Amino acid sequence: MTTETRSKIKMNYVDTVGFGADIGGRGFHLPVDLSVRPDGRVFVISRSPMHRRGIRVGICDITHGWYGEFGSDGDGDGQFRSPTAIAHGPDDRVYVADEELNRITVFTPDGVFESNWGESGSAPGQINGPSALKFTADGDLLVVDHHNNRIQKMSPEGEYISSWGSPGSGEGEFNLPWGLDLDSSGRVYVADWRNDRIQRFSPDGEFIDMFGTHGDGEGQFNRPSDVAVDDGGFIYVADWVNQRVQVFDTRWNFQASLRGQATVSPWAQEYLEANADELDARSRFNPYIEVDTDVAHEVSARVEAYFWDPIAVEIDPEGRLIVADSLRHRLQIYQRVPK
Amino acid sequence: MTTIPARADYPLVAHLLRRAGFGGTSEDLRDFASVDYEVAVDRLLDAVDTASLPDDLIRRYHIDQSDLRTGPSAGSYWVGRMVTTDAPLVEKVALFWHRIFATAQTKLIQGKVMSTQIGMFREYGLGSFRDILVQLSKNPAMILFLDNQDNHRGAINENYGREILELFSMGVGNYTEEDVKECARAFTGWTVANTDYMAIKMRNNTMRPYGYIAWQFKYDESDHDDGEKTFLGRTGNFNGEDVIDIICEQPATAAFIARHMYHYFVADELPVPQWPHFPPKDPEAITVMTDAYFESGYNIKAMLRALFLSNSFKSDAARYARIKSPMELIVGTLRLAGGYQWPSSDVYKATAASGFMGQALLAPPSVEGWMGGSDWISTGTMVQRVNFASGIVGDLERPGIRRLVDAIKTRAAHEKEGSTPESLVGSCLELLGRLDVSDETRSDLVDFATSGKASRGPSDSESDSGPGSDEDRSIISIMQLIVATREYQLV
Repeated sequence: MTTETRSKIKMNYVDTVGFGADIGGRGFHLPVDLSVRPDGRVFVISRSPMHRRGIRVGICDITHGWYGEFGSDGDGDGQFRSPTAIAHGPDDRVYVADEELNRITVFTPDGVFESNWGESGSAPGQINGPSALKFTADGDLLVVDHHNNRIQKMSPEGEYISSWGSPGSGEGEFNLPWGLDLDSSGRVYVADWRNDRIQRFSPDGEFIDMFGTHGDGEGQFNRPSDVAVDDGGFIYVADWVNQRVQVFDTRWNFQASLRGQATVSPWAQEYLEANADELDARSRFNPYIEVDTDVAHEVSARVEAYFWDPIAVEIDPEGRLIVADSLRHRLQIYQRVPK
Repeated sequence: MTTIPARADYPLVAHLLRRAGFGGTSEDLRDFASVDYEVAVDRLLDAVDTASLPDDLIRRYHIDQSDLRTGPSAGSYWVGRMVTTDAPLVEKVALFWHRIFATAQTKLIQGKVMSTQIGMFREYGLGSFRDILVQLSKNPAMILFLDNQDNHRGAINENYGREILELFSMGVGNYTEEDVKECARAFTGWTVANTDYMAIKMRNNTMRPYGYIAWQFKYDESDHDDGEKTFLGRTGNFNGEDVIDIICEQPATAAFIARHMYHYFVADELPVPQWPHFPPKDPEAITVMTDAYFESGYNIKAMLRALFLSNSFKSDAARYARIKSPMELIVGTLRLAGGYQWPSSDVYKATAASGFMGQALLAPPSVEGWMGGSDWISTGTMVQRVNFASGIVGDLERPGIRRLVDAIKTRAAHEKEGSTPESLVGSCLELLGRLDVSDETRSDLVDFATSGKASRGPSDSESDSGPGSDEDRSIISIMQLIVATREYQLV
């Protein structure tokens, strides 16, 4: 089995959670972001165009528990058009960003609609395409203001606090930034998507350094969509077009590259057992065929176990890496083995 | 016989851009009319796309256009390419092959393999017909659409063997039933990887558990019938490529493809099932193309070049001799309106509209494709065509429409004797791609412009309350009436 996992550190594959569910129900369809609550429950945004109930937030855990879902397609209270990002506030409230409606919707920890805020525009406090959310240790909300090429710090109620960034490719400038994360010191990491790099900032938004160039080699990126940092300072980058997750130490030394090695989740196994013809044919199925292309996106389309558009990365309270594998409608879970 | 000037003129260039593309803006017309007609033809034939939006941007904002699972997603991706490309003939030719090698997402269920097939047409569509047939025979969408995965050594399934002769190359009457069986034997073993699983997932119509897996061609030598075959009078241990070589040598193949080209690029022909019984409308045009076919080694671009330079194509009789297909109408109108500068949800509406107008993209009604011609027009489809086109040209937010309206206003301001309803209508017709209309239509349009109805708009459409001055709205309402005319439905 070829998984193209190259490591200086050891990354263990843990499990696969999920199942393609395009009209709602247990599973995901086109998941775009996730947030892990301190109790380990994982909230996953699905962005399915297939059905009104396909767009929603599903709640599960990494041992295949399923706890329901909330939200649907629409622009009413508690609904979404193009949800992009989700975060848990310090009080466990759930915040979901919608890049089409330019608003942040706030739910109770159980997914009951509470309020929403957001005004379209480019003035301070206005947003244009919010693409990532993260709370600081102080309880402020960082919003990646994608089309305005900046990061905004807001109160949980949507009051403007500060911002940094402008369009460009220089230090502290962005070209359609997408995901972000904070490390244990509060430093901010931004996936500067169309600049093919990760930028690191102080908690106040002062530029510290940046890493990455365009390409598919180690330490190179092709449209990185998200970044996560674990308690050991290791940095995980969803290298979206390259169809992999790269791992770096805090000094940007390359550590590992994950290509994906998903297995059949119990939810998927239940489905196969209920469809004997598919289960039988799958028993003769060669999952790792010799592909006739070297385009990573097309390789992923042919090999089910690989990541196909890994779009978001998060670290759970146990230090496990959870990857939202968007076009395969599942989460792949890995764990760094401490040295 | 019509005398054609050596140097291009505007009406001829407008005709070329409508047929070899999706029509031109006034800037395109000026550009192509500034060079010799032959140069303009070569420019269209040799164009390489540099203008389509990058895939990463499209996939970022429309995630369903990344896995292209569904027909609407895959179709919308293609609409986006057709609307934005600066090599429109490449897309027009892909659409041409999609009509002939009709493969439908409705059976295959996944849009991804359809999109890959269209990409193949994009890559090979103007090249050697032999290469196109080889690629088609190896194309996973075609293999499963015509059941070649069930075509085994010792137990043939003749579906693909028949259609490659009947519908894809020679036409009925040019081969025997025995040739069909021998052809099928030559294609045994041409299948896809993980055949059973892929076929069952297709049959069960399911993306579960983890989405579709893109199909990939596989040559299974152990399932290939390597025995001696006699095909179209030749005998040997033929494989699929050998059979394609023999097909390509046939005059019937050249004539069949040429007639399709005439039907698509010059004038509406009879429906294909009638071809064995009736001669081509313009035998001279067919000869021009079949000569080019053999002289160039089966090259499609050479056939098209010969066609576009022929008097059959350039003559007045060929102008507006075809009814626009829904895609020609949709894409042409969207390009006039300025296309897309950014990934847009508009493509989904356009894709849906193509279905309402009778040409559901990636879902032809059968392996015979769409008949075209007068089949495009019915009471229902006509309403859809008019509503779609008038909705687009009535939208001042679209940059191309804003430019058109401003250009018409500028012209009106420079009229020596002041703007008249006649000059206003003339400007609108010219800037909407130099549209020629009958005297009766022109008179009706002038009456409308004179009556004062124009400033109020022709209907209670949404655009009436939209932005813009009275003058803007007046111009827009005339343009909306123009795209509802009979002439706008022709190409």
